[in-house]
Amino acid sequence: MPTLGELERAVMDALWSADAAVTARDVQDALAGRELATTTVLTVLGRLERKGLVTRERSGRAHRYRATASRADHVAELMRDALDATPDRGAALARFLGSIPDDERAALRDLLD
Amino acid sequence: MELVALGLLVFGVALAEPVSRLLARARWPGRDPVGALLLWQAIGLAGGLALLSAGVIYGLSPLGAPRPALESVLDELGAGRLPALDVPHVVALVLTAALAARLLGVLVAVTVRTLRVRARHRELLDLLATPWPAAPGARVLEHPVPVAYCLPGLRSRLVVSAGVLDCLDVDQVWAVLAHERTHLRERHDLVVLPFVAWGATAPFVRGMVCAQFAVATLIEMRADDVAVRQASPKQLSGALGAMGGAAPAAALSSFTAALHRRLARIVEPPAPLPLALRALVRLIAGVLVAVPLLAVLA
Repeated sequence: MPTLGELERAVMDALWSADAAVTARDVQDALAGRELATTTVLTVLGRLERKGLVTRERSGRAHRYRATASRADHVAELMRDALDATPDRGAALARFLGSIPDDERAALRDLLD
Repeated sequence: MELVALGLLVFGVALAEPVSRLLARARWPGRDPVGALLLWQAIGLAGGLALLSAGVIYGLSPLGAPRPALESVLDELGAGRLPALDVPHVVALVLTAALAARLLGVLVAVTVRTLRVRARHRELLDLLATPWPAAPGARVLEHPVPVAYCLPGLRSRLVVSAGVLDCLDVDQVWAVLAHERTHLRERHDLVVLPFVAWGATAPFVRGMVCAQFAVATLIEMRADDVAVRQASPKQLSGALGAMGGAAPAAALSSFTAALHRRLARIVEPPAPLPLALRALVRLIAGVLVAVPLLAVLA
């Protein structure tokens, strides 16, 4: 039994490798090896939509889904988070080379303003 | 009672300004990072308690000892009557309540923001990062810039970028992971949090800003100490040197200066503080917190 997280990864991978917006049915076909029920695919797509990773548009009687940003864009967002030296980012995660450089100490003053 | 309040006020201000600044500049914390971190926690807690209890004790002083006075004021307010206090004492109580609300508000705001950033980050990580077979629990983010970090919390994550695997050998990655696991295991994010909140409450007090910087440096020393024991000094310094040279901030002189201080401490570790002095540091930390507590409860 795959976890929800694994299913989300698989569905996102399917959306990222599709060129255009696709229907839930297309996703189900792309993941044919997993033998997922349509309702499962719709549930996962709904979760991803709530997380802001997927948008939905109406086309005729079906809904079409697409990823809001490319894989590379999301990786870049994570890297920005990880490299950002501002202290509130510092509270959120701890980098290996993570101390706040002296010249950025002024940024401490701007915190929460 | 006014004298007790004055004493607590002086005590609290002394901790917030000269004491914090002196401790931030001291060199011995590098020889006992855990003791220094305990002392910092005690200074933060005792400073806050002292300032708040000074305000309460002064404000209630016309009504006698603090505890019965507080009870009678709450009874009066509950019955819809104003307590018999003149303007200066009421002003002290209102200022104290405002400071307490501000401290608590900032702490809550910082916490909520931190948790939100982490949750979003973790969601994306779980979609994008792939497990690294060589180390259980570690994930690899497909990006050429070397960066290693952990996401603390109940559902913590340990992350290295593909750039790290390119510029370090496996033993060095192990040393990096040992360092990051120490942050996670000892919940260093919670150690830092009160000082982020203090710094945000009173950014105009230089001692508070120094405190935040000193505590951030100390948790890195502590994590380095554990990583050196679990891996080896050579692996950790090798990892720091290789990653430091390739880091995006490598051009900043402050970055390289901080990096060199850290490397020097790993290669030539300072002698640990003698046992008696370590005990003394912990005793002082306990006494600092006890002072305002005893003043209020006495």
